[in-house]
Amino acid sequence: MLADFDPSRRQFLKTSMVAGVGVYVANLGSPAFAALFEEGILAPTDAAWDAEAARMRFRLDGVSKVTGAKVFARDIRARDMPHWPDRQSHAFILRTTRCDRTYEGFDLARLEAEDLLPDRVVTAQDLERDGIVVPEFYGPDLLLATGQTPSYLGYPVAILIYHDFARYSIAKNRLKFKQDVIRYGQETGYPQRDPYGTFRYIRVGNDDAYQPDVYSALQETVLTPDYRKRHPIWPEALRSGSDAETAMYHAGRIEEQLASPPEGWVVFEREYYSQYTDHFAMEADNSNCWYDRSSGAMHVVCGTQSPAELASWMPELLAKSRFASKRFFLHPAYTVGYGSKDASVFPYYGLVAALYADGHPVRLANDRYEQFQATMKRHPFSMRHRIAVERDSGKFQIFKLVLDANGGGRANYSNSVAFVGATAAQGIYYFPSSDLTAQANYSRMPEAGSYRGYGTLQTMSATEMMIDELAAELGIDPIELRLRNLLKAGMKNTQGAIPAGASRAGEVLHRARRHPLWTEREQRKQAYEAAHPGKRYGVGFGCVQKDFGHGAEGVFSEVELTPEGRIRLRNIGAEMGTGYATGQAAVCAAWLGRAADEIGTAETEWSDMQMESSGNPYIMAQDEQDRLARNPRWTPLLMQASSASNSAYYFSFPTIEAARIIFRHGLWPAALEYWSRGIGGGQAAPYVVREQEARWVDGKLTASGMEPLSLEFLARRAHEMGGVTAAMAHAFNRWAWATAEYEIDGQRENLPLDGLALKYGAGADSQKRRSMTSPRGYHLLDRANVHYPPTQRNNAGVTYYSACGTLVALAVDTGSGEVEVLDHHTILECGNPIVPELVSGQLQGGVAMGIGHALFEDMPLYEDGPGNGTWNINRYRIPRAKDVAVWRQTSEILPPLSDSDPHKGMAEVVMIPVIPAIANGVAHAIGHRFTRLPITPDKILEVL
Amino acid sequence: MSIATRPLALTINGQQHGPIEVPVELMMLDYLHEYANLTGTRFGCGQGMCRACTVIVDQDDGSSHEMRTCITGAHYFNGRRIRTVEGHAQRDEDGEVLALAPIQQSFLEHYSFQCSYCAPGFVNAATVLIERLQREPVARDQLEDTISDALNDHICRCTGYVRYLAAVRDTILSTPGLVKEA
Repeated sequence: MLADFDPSRRQFLKTSMVAGVGVYVANLGSPAFAALFEEGILAPTDAAWDAEAARMRFRLDGVSKVTGAKVFARDIRARDMPHWPDRQSHAFILRTTRCDRTYEGFDLARLEAEDLLPDRVVTAQDLERDGIVVPEFYGPDLLLATGQTPSYLGYPVAILIYHDFARYSIAKNRLKFKQDVIRYGQETGYPQRDPYGTFRYIRVGNDDAYQPDVYSALQETVLTPDYRKRHPIWPEALRSGSDAETAMYHAGRIEEQLASPPEGWVVFEREYYSQYTDHFAMEADNSNCWYDRSSGAMHVVCGTQSPAELASWMPELLAKSRFASKRFFLHPAYTVGYGSKDASVFPYYGLVAALYADGHPVRLANDRYEQFQATMKRHPFSMRHRIAVERDSGKFQIFKLVLDANGGGRANYSNSVAFVGATAAQGIYYFPSSDLTAQANYSRMPEAGSYRGYGTLQTMSATEMMIDELAAELGIDPIELRLRNLLKAGMKNTQGAIPAGASRAGEVLHRARRHPLWTEREQRKQAYEAAHPGKRYGVGFGCVQKDFGHGAEGVFSEVELTPEGRIRLRNIGAEMGTGYATGQAAVCAAWLGRAADEIGTAETEWSDMQMESSGNPYIMAQDEQDRLARNPRWTPLLMQASSASNSAYYFSFPTIEAARIIFRHGLWPAALEYWSRGIGGGQAAPYVVREQEARWVDGKLTASGMEPLSLEFLARRAHEMGGVTAAMAHAFNRWAWATAEYEIDGQRENLPLDGLALKYGAGADSQKRRSMTSPRGYHLLDRANVHYPPTQRNNAGVTYYSACGTLVALAVDTGSGEVEVLDHHTILECGNPIVPELVSGQLQGGVAMGIGHALFEDMPLYEDGPGNGTWNINRYRIPRAKDVAVWRQTSEILPPLSDSDPHKGMAEVVMIPVIPAIANGVAHAIGHRFTRLPITPDKILEVL
Repeated sequence: MSIATRPLALTINGQQHGPIEVPVELMMLDYLHEYANLTGTRFGCGQGMCRACTVIVDQDDGSSHEMRTCITGAHYFNGRRIRTVEGHAQRDEDGEVLALAPIQQSFLEHYSFQCSYCAPGFVNAATVLIERLQREPVARDQLEDTISDALNDHICRCTGYVRYLAAVRDTILSTPGLVKEA
């Protein structure tokens, strides 16, 4: 297929120099990748875009995906890469399965007998000798040295490389599940470590919820204590002390009130446990890497949610090693992760394997046992919830939470998962006072990391289970109790921050309260149980609001309009199956009248902008930010990974801004010029034609009754007139957008961007043409009066929310203990959906994943768990179609308040409320409230 | 000791493959990936549980059935005719897609898949179902259960199945002769 590949067609884009290594990126969907594979992954937008209805008929990657084209990194072999040698090597990793003894080497005698010894073995000795050091974020070492005790189950000790598939495949099978391969030495006991981190958010509100707080994390501080004997040491409590000491004073007052509540208050307390689960992303982790010894170039093919990280840290690793790598090529492929491919250590093993593969491309691809053993999981949470409520009014007074997040053997994102979980725990409710402590702990469990829901699934599910029980105790309808305690617009969250925009959780509650599943639940229960002896019917409800975004978002986007009216778009996001590429294309239509024709995803090449970053955006001090921001090319964060439901809102944001600038300074002037042609000011003269009245109808621009004009015509005229025809933008968000002033066509504009470059059409004057000096021919604008959100806003925890509620009807089989989900209805608020079909698909998939969490998915943490290498889906149940009420389930999306609502992130929130809804439904069915998930038949039979 | 091999010859998507010496232990999925460069059939679990590795085996009597290639040896398929996801659409001489099969078109228009890793298995399972209904039409009131039974073993982690199954139902209802009145 590729024998006649023309190397001149390679259009690798050199992104930057990292530690002296040139970095080049060719993305799926990019011209460079199309050249590699002789076919595009994305369908022509002309076929997918319905101009009349202004909607996407299908996802742009759909044809490739439904015909089995090579879309995933896992599909790629050396022979598919035109510039690579054809011969493909293969590798697998040996891992330890004990943490109570030293590791003393491995025994491959079993392979030797069959002439199946690897062609190359890589151990810690090699890495030590060659100066290969794991990026600090991922520590400890990539491979364990002999004489050390593994710090977690599944710790890698060696990479075995084969230069042919057959021997690799058979050898791997021969070693699978064998306990005599790894040699262990003296008993050492299990490793012990300090917690990864502890975070405490204390807030005491004013009597008037809308007035400034007495104390809050946003106003004052978050507590992050040191440790003594692995326990946090809290500051002394002083009423007029430092911020931290004052916090402890308020914490003491809160505790006193919980211990001795005032007359009329009731204090509820429950302990909850959320289990250890696997992402089960169907594409298991894999990479295919080639180290070209002759040129010192490293080539990496892998699926990743964080391509910018790989393009930065991998060259750094190479540069520090003895390998004289001077060029680094990254091919990020379309993938799927749910978080498992966000900041994953796995690609680094593939990179290292290539360095020792004798110059052959080497493929490292987990089978499912390895995936269970080695890949990041969801953090198990142990939580102690306490809520004080005024009995007569049902109004909540205090919320106190202590949670322990088990992070396993590598820290990864455990700290942020823990504090994000804590800061979301309040759910949709307002609490006048709160004290939330989150601790991320080390353990020998295979590591936990980013996973859809990111700590909030655990805490909000527990809160919603508690609210339901609390309502029953108080004798108040559960939805009524929720409405009485709703966090309304302008109120503050538990960090003291005011959430963005209107709060619409109340609408979700009102709709749920009117739904037949809820209003008829008692009649249906009676009817169902009469018709189904041995089964108990129950209806449960849960409602949450989930943040979207990381708290620091850096995004580049480029939109270019050709003279023919074609739209080219590049953005940093990775396509993980969510339809991100399709959505990015579609958001252009608001300003340019149609979806983009060419879309580049996972782009890391933005050197035109000359932007640089330093410092940690999450923890930097205000004076540090102020000092750094004097550099007009500085930003707190260049590029964020694709996770935390951040593509719809954050990644679209600079795309929309870029398209708006092209409209305002390219297309609109062209339209006005045409409408004003002729004597007396032409067709525009009799009317008042304002930019605000501009509308795209059937793919043509009109305003105030003006003659509709096609994009092709306007694009040609914009180019001829020298208007703005392309914009490259960078935006930064820290729970608010950075802003700056730019001069465009003599007009000073304040824009929510901290970097901007423009291209002008061929008719531009000589001064403009001379200004377009960047590699891609952009005029890099100088920003003025830049304003970054204050660093104190880091303490806000979150300000952007989407609300979601789910009603579930279920039946419990009293004989088998099985729970059958009979029906469910979900109500979601997500602003303006970009592609409604993609939103509803995310919703349906999220609910299914939530059902799995509530009822099926679970693993032991330690020696009997996935770290032992024997886990697969024969004993880890993934929901099937019949488990999710596939024909009966329904959903609704709240209409946006207006067509100017933002495109809110929603891919995580949709999987959460179904979990407490099921727990609450089981309680309705059998009268028992489970506090440990999942609710399995064994647990049900035990209480029945 | 050298690896034991045997010659393998079969028909994939109407094209003859082999005879070629192939290890006796080789799984069919590995043959498709490493020898035939057909990677659309996906590795999911290696236990035959998730069905991402499903292909269609065509029988001489005109019937078809699903086979899981991650747990079935390549040599089982010696002399047999199979279809993989790459073989459903009409293509030109250069391999460019001219027209999707109806079930593929329906999956596309229903936004049925997200990451699409499982899509090849669903395409094949739905195709086998449709071909069975061509021989044995189903009563309309049995249709949803028939679809659920046919596709329930196929795991999708992204979509919640709703758009897959709805697309299959729409395709069956719009194809004459697959449904009979009760």
